[in-house]
Amino acid sequence: MDYLRTRVTAIERPAPEHVLVRFAGDRPIEGRPGQFVMVRGEWGFHPVLARAFSLVEAGEQGAILVRVVGEGTALLDGLRPGDSLAVLGPQGRGFSEPETGRRVVLVAGGVGVAPLVFMAERVANGGGRATFLYGARTSADLPLEERIRGVADLTVTTEDGSIGRQGLVTEPLVQILADSTDVQIYACGPEPMLAAVARLAVASGVPCEVALESRMACGMGTCKGCAVLAADREYRYVCSDGPVFEAIAIYGGDQ
Amino acid sequence: MTVDVSVELGSLKLRNPVITASGTFGYGVEYAELMDLSRLGGISVKGISLEPRKGNPPPRICETPCGMLNSIGLANVGFDAFVGKTLPRLRELGATVIVNTYGTTEGEFAELARRFDRTDGVAALEVNISCPNVKQGGIHFGVAPEPAAAVTRAVRDATSLPVIVKLSPEAADLAGVAQAVADAGADAVSLINTIRGMSIDVETRRPRLGAGIGGLSGPAIRPVAVRMVHEVHRAVDVPLIGIGGIAGLRDALEFFLAGATAVQIGTANYTNPKTAIELIAALEQYCAERDVVPADLVGAVITD
Repeated sequence: MDYLRTRVTAIERPAPEHVLVRFAGDRPIEGRPGQFVMVRGEWGFHPVLARAFSLVEAGEQGAILVRVVGEGTALLDGLRPGDSLAVLGPQGRGFSEPETGRRVVLVAGGVGVAPLVFMAERVANGGGRATFLYGARTSADLPLEERIRGVADLTVTTEDGSIGRQGLVTEPLVQILADSTDVQIYACGPEPMLAAVARLAVASGVPCEVALESRMACGMGTCKGCAVLAADREYRYVCSDGPVFEAIAIYGGDQ
Repeated sequence: MTVDVSVELGSLKLRNPVITASGTFGYGVEYAELMDLSRLGGISVKGISLEPRKGNPPPRICETPCGMLNSIGLANVGFDAFVGKTLPRLRELGATVIVNTYGTTEGEFAELARRFDRTDGVAALEVNISCPNVKQGGIHFGVAPEPAAAVTRAVRDATSLPVIVKLSPEAADLAGVAQAVADAGADAVSLINTIRGMSIDVETRRPRLGAGIGGLSGPAIRPVAVRMVHEVHRAVDVPLIGIGGIAGLRDALEFFLAGATAVQIGTANYTNPKTAIELIAALEQYCAERDVVPADLVGAVITD
């Protein structure tokens, strides 16, 4: 874990209201798929908190994918190459390494695609090729789709049918699990999607990890602000116990 | 730089007047990778209770203009885990440890004080009679002189450690509470804890915190805190530790001038985890350039 004052090196706009921010500092940006960084530009004291984002890339440069939803993300959307960006990380528990022999199935919803792009590229670099199920409301909410196509077998679903298959991302997952349970699932996206993926995985006895999202203040396990109620009715902290959890630990085995 | 920025708060001597505030810096050890913890004037650790506490239902935090609300609810590992696992590590790292304690009764506060009195590696106790996020104890002890003094006396009788009492901005007569805890044996008082606040999501029409209300912190509360430090300093002869939205040198200087002998850094640790360590360097430079020591500044505001 490091606290780096980086510079923005590139800005991409992979979809409407989405911005990919790439940055570099004096030292490499460490991190693995599923881990996150706390980022903050130089914008005085409002908003007062840094923002947590999954790493899309790590190495000489780091990158995060931002969906512009509020004041903080609007400020990130306003960044230009050369602007300073303070980066605290990498934080949290990332995705586990895939088990040999199991087909890797990545299930993404909307901007939840960020850590899974990193994962898909990691799998591809290891000589494998992941199955990538990517769902969104509409064709405008599918950033990085082309990039994924280059490294994984991609199936896109949209709720309005504007691109790909019409429906929910869990529908192709049902088919995959019907064909074989020799798979393992990594998922990131909206809460209802994660719950549905977890239910399918648990019912099929398939290993499944989910990357959760939460508002955070510290990102370090210290403020205890990002509590989620786990299946055992105990609180877990997204930043330090996660953000990647075994699906069964969060959603339970009896649904 | 060899400038001496050490300060004294009653019997508590600190190498510099910059302390990380309870609840905003964990147990300190989490930050050991980022900085030399022995450089800090002190670390007021996350409030410790006799038994572990799980905390309040989420969401526990939300942002507000130049600040944030929290309703953590004093989630903590409890006395045994802190003393068994965390404190030895803090000692190894050379940290000056101020243990923030929370009890639901005078007896619990006294028991914590007794136990920490027998524990090596504790520089002082900070008695939290001002947490707004718990149903029992907390702020209820801190809003009037008599219960505040009773808790302070119980702690004072149970330990020879320096005792700091953390005050609530919601006391009707804050100077009266400060005087009462000073008379009951507090070495210093720290102020202010958070101010109770609320934020509502206008789409869902629900409070943005799971607990409904929470404590407001950050630069938004700084002028309130400066005013309170100023008023207590004028009224009561007890060393003060100023808290409230301090994020850099100018903010800390404001609190010294208002009457604080030391300061605590809270929410700004989230804005930049190195705020305190950078403030210490800036203060050393300021004191060297101006040929002053921090004590020269305390209460030096000109109000004529």
